[in-house]
Amino acid sequence: MSSIESSNTLAIFPRRWSEKEAGRVPGNIPIWVGILSELTEFGIFFTAYFIAKFNYPEVFASGPLSLNTTIGVCNTIILLTSSYFMAKAMSNVRRDNLKKCERFLWLTFVCACMYLCLKTYEFNWNDVQGYSTKTNEFFTVYYYMTFNHFLHVGWAGCAILWVIFRLRSGAYSSKEHSGLEALAVYWHMIDLMWILIFPLLYVLR
Amino acid sequence: MKRFGKLEYYWLGLIAITLFNTFLGENFESTAVVTILVALTVMYKGLVVIDHFMELKGANRFLRIMMRTYFFIFPSLIILSTLF
Repeated sequence: MSSIESSNTLAIFPRRWSEKEAGRVPGNIPIWVGILSELTEFGIFFTAYFIAKFNYPEVFASGPLSLNTTIGVCNTIILLTSSYFMAKAMSNVRRDNLKKCERFLWLTFVCACMYLCLKTYEFNWNDVQGYSTKTNEFFTVYYYMTFNHFLHVGWAGCAILWVIFRLRSGAYSSKEHSGLEALAVYWHMIDLMWILIFPLLYVLR
Repeated sequence: MKRFGKLEYYWLGLIAITLFNTFLGENFESTAVVTILVALTVMYKGLVVIDHFMELKGANRFLRIMMRTYFFIFPSLIILSTLF
């Protein structure tokens, strides 16, 4: 291995895992370490959901009926739309259309804020109805999953602001936009987790 | 005139599936058929986001396999949960 090659790679993975043989890694390696850690974390939550549902079927059959489904649906549509805006931001940065890219990033940020506001309203609505983490096993799992997801949307929203700042300061172009792409794949991961959370908590009984 | 591309169709499709799932959940008892239908549509939604929004189609094949496997495992657990 040449000195240049060894300085650019960790050389601890098999060659067939390399970008050259397996294909391009969108964003960068660190963000994928983060994404896979998050997927593991949410995987544990989903497993906990199935175990709890197996042990307390009646509570999980009546649980979704107590939730505000309208807010759940609105939040799903908002997150899907935010993913669409993020994908549009990526396609525009590739065409060096930086103004349009920024506009789509702002739209994604607005979606993140709308999600956070609606979710806060939903938590308050639950509180008014008398539901809390201690109501029953369904609500314990519900708060565990949704509050965790809420935090992810919150800090990814802050990351959108950081990426907009970097975009405005000329850090990204059609040739170099790995930072923006890293945020995009992370944002889509958050959307993916909600795609699973929504039917588990709001639809299936 | 603005082009209505593939991404827009996927976005509208995903929203339509979400509304369809909600309609099923709200109007029908949670039978095995409803649960399986919801699980399959969740799987489809996940695969669309992974391939077309996350753009893993054509990217690193190991990352794509890992992400897609995730969206086979958990919807399969939803289907499996109807048996117990």
